[in-house]
Amino acid sequence: MKWSTLKYLFKEGIIGLWRNRTMAVASIGTIVLCLLILGMSYGVGTNIDYLIEQIETKFGITAYIKEGLTELEILNLRYEVEQLEDVASVTYISKEEALKNFSADNEDESLFEMFKEDNPLPASLEITTVDIKNQGQLIERLNNIEGIDETVYFQNETQTFINIRNTVNYICYGILICLIVVGLLLMSNTIKLTVYIRKREINIMKYVGATDSFIRVPFLIEGMLVGFIGALISILMVTFAYDWISEKAANVSGVLAELSLVPTAEIISSLIPMYLALGIGIGLIGSMFAIHKHLKV
Amino acid sequence: MIKLQGVTKVYSNGAIGLNNVSLNIEKGEFVFITGNSGSGKSTFLKMLYKEIDPDRGKIVINNRDITKMKRRQIPYLRRDLGMVFQDFRLLPNKTVYENVAFAMEIVGASSREIRKNVPIVLGLVGLAKKARCYPNELSGGEQQRTALARAIVNNNPILIADEPTGNLDPATSWEIMNCLQDINKRGVTIIMATHEREIVNTLKKRVIEISNGQVSKDVHEGGYDDEVEYSQVFI
Repeated sequence: MKWSTLKYLFKEGIIGLWRNRTMAVASIGTIVLCLLILGMSYGVGTNIDYLIEQIETKFGITAYIKEGLTELEILNLRYEVEQLEDVASVTYISKEEALKNFSADNEDESLFEMFKEDNPLPASLEITTVDIKNQGQLIERLNNIEGIDETVYFQNETQTFINIRNTVNYICYGILICLIVVGLLLMSNTIKLTVYIRKREINIMKYVGATDSFIRVPFLIEGMLVGFIGALISILMVTFAYDWISEKAANVSGVLAELSLVPTAEIISSLIPMYLALGIGIGLIGSMFAIHKHLKV
Repeated sequence: MIKLQGVTKVYSNGAIGLNNVSLNIEKGEFVFITGNSGSGKSTFLKMLYKEIDPDRGKIVINNRDITKMKRRQIPYLRRDLGMVFQDFRLLPNKTVYENVAFAMEIVGASSREIRKNVPIVLGLVGLAKKARCYPNELSGGEQQRTALARAIVNNNPILIADEPTGNLDPATSWEIMNCLQDINKRGVTIIMATHEREIVNTLKKRVIEISNGQVSKDVHEGGYDDEVEYSQVFI
């Protein structure tokens, strides 16, 4: 195809979009709606995952250190644990700190004074994991380390969290797939309607001797433009809406105050390529399907 | 230039479109195709621009057997055939100029060629002053002249006209016929399906009458039919 022909077809695509602006607005609206629902599902899914990640760090492992180790040996032990795979952070709790915590937990300062001289509590390492589901393997590795007496972790609670996280992930993936399919169907139908209105126009082009690609290209350009504009509008709307929600969420106090949402920039930076690809893709594929059957004249 | 050999078409409902039709049309001829509604005129024309294919027989246009032509080659066949229809079939969102230019864009003509040729052709059909109008701003005759301009702008050697005056009043019909005669004088072969007795009888061109899917009459310098001539005498 000649460059001048391509230029003409691109111009035709833009003119077509303008001349059929009512249908174009309907198509853009459909795309925006689909992308917004998609974005909402993605946002909710990502945030639940993010919140669970934040919560699951609370389910750490406590590795009790054998009695009688020197400070240097404990430092070495801590270093050894830090080097293990799946370890996110290691905090050393000395015997004294353990006793302080114990007294504080029981709200009885006299306990500290009572056992200060003959502290029965062992020193420990508080370990958090990168991924909660690998906690079992990490426990095995910890138990093989010389110097660690015993490991304690919330086995049942951890398992419950792993189950919740997996279920949420499956639900989110399911919603995503359903919405992509629904979006494609809706878009294809809207574009089909646009193409149907212009069926006569396509027939005339065929009678004058236009090839299928000559007729198809402006429609595809139109479809892609519709998708592109829809994606841009969706990106703007999601950015503002998410920013507003994040602001509101930041003001929440109480138990949830320690938790935070995925930052706007992070969520938008992953939504931009997704929206552009989906918007343009849906516009393009929808147009391709819609125009196909009208080309057989 | 156009050759039909034993062309037969039977539709799925059993209706006969054409039944063993054979004929030749030479370069530069002006041929009227006449016959009652449902006689097979439209089937004949549609086969020429390959909207429908015959069940049997062969159609050769410009030494090409179009019955063996693949679907993707059809646009190139149609570029040789200018087409004019009763309902004009203009692109509603394009001006007169753009409608004619569209036929040139399709064949990949350069912008310079388009800017040069379209005004010439519009002048030829008397529409130079209407170039910027949209089809809905034109009279029926003007719309048909736009369609004629589009049909000849690529110097198409053959022009197929399917009842081009069917929607026009007598005076406008004659304007169109004069245009068609001018185009024919430039060497373009014209095949025109019509019901207009007066036009056929006045112009005295070749008349091919189709009835029940068969050629019932093929007369050079003929009239619409003998009965018409008799009735005109008695009136």
